[in-house]
Amino acid sequence: MDPNQTLAPFIRASNSVFKQMFDLEISKGQVQSEGDTFISQGFTVMVGLTGKWNGWFFLDMTQATAIKLAQIMTGEEYDTAANEEVLLAGGEVANIISGNAITDINNLQPGLNIRLSPPSIFTGEGMSMFNVRLNACSVLFQTEAGNIKINVVMKEAN
Amino acid sequence: MDVKYINSFISSLLEVTEMVGISKLKRIGLNRREHLKTENDVNVIIGLVGDIKGNVVLSMQEATAKNIASRMMGGMPIYEFDMMPKSALCELSNMINGKSASKLEKIGVRVNITPPTLIHGYNMASLISQVETLVVAFSGQEGNLELNIATED
Repeated sequence: MDPNQTLAPFIRASNSVFKQMFDLEISKGQVQSEGDTFISQGFTVMVGLTGKWNGWFFLDMTQATAIKLAQIMTGEEYDTAANEEVLLAGGEVANIISGNAITDINNLQPGLNIRLSPPSIFTGEGMSMFNVRLNACSVLFQTEAGNIKINVVMKEAN
Repeated sequence: MDVKYINSFISSLLEVTEMVGISKLKRIGLNRREHLKTENDVNVIIGLVGDIKGNVVLSMQEATAKNIASRMMGGMPIYEFDMMPKSALCELSNMINGKSASKLEKIGVRVNITPPTLIHGYNMASLISQVETLVVAFSGQEGNLELNIATED
């Protein structure tokens, strides 16, 4: 599947969401190759996609970055990323990004009718995600709040 | 969350595990999930979209995961938790949820499922679907496993 059709809408959406919601400029975006597993930096939000294409969207960052984003959103201080509000904040960011991106994809290619499952948030040590159809490349964004990585796994539904 | 939905998932899990050669599992509990922290290192997640929206997570400890994968591959010993056992567990979860989706369709609930993804890590905390999560616990010779069901009706 052409990454211009799958990954690019998510890159555009991330860019605009981080600018509008958090006032964070993405200073540099670079492609990072992944092996057969997606290595998490410590905090990952996953949003499922179904329709004519199905797959997953991953939003990944360090626990410190997740805490920072939650602090910007709520104005409160958190000492751990396992706090429920930090998890909820991370889920909300991924939900907005993927919502914008699939609206874009559905508008460009009417009939695909992609829909989202609710986000699930995982945080821990030494996390890795395994998916049979993992995209070989992630995109790593550098921001003032830390590095944020996204990956899109997509395949045509049978 | 309606009880008739839960039953489709429970019976599918029992049928599929029996089919792939895992020893008979016993249901040992049905609870609300109360803590974000989880003791289970291996989680296989599948998303549901349609008349019900949510996520289903099959979670267990690494030792149990190895035992189950070994059983699925005809008793082949598994020393490391690499690609092979991971894809076996993804397939197990895919079969369970595929079967559940077809059972749900029979009672008039249409759902689509996403491909499975396996999450492996330590000291994990998680929030599934951001809603109240039901945990169905099973126990068998291979170890204990949990089916976390979080749906928005």
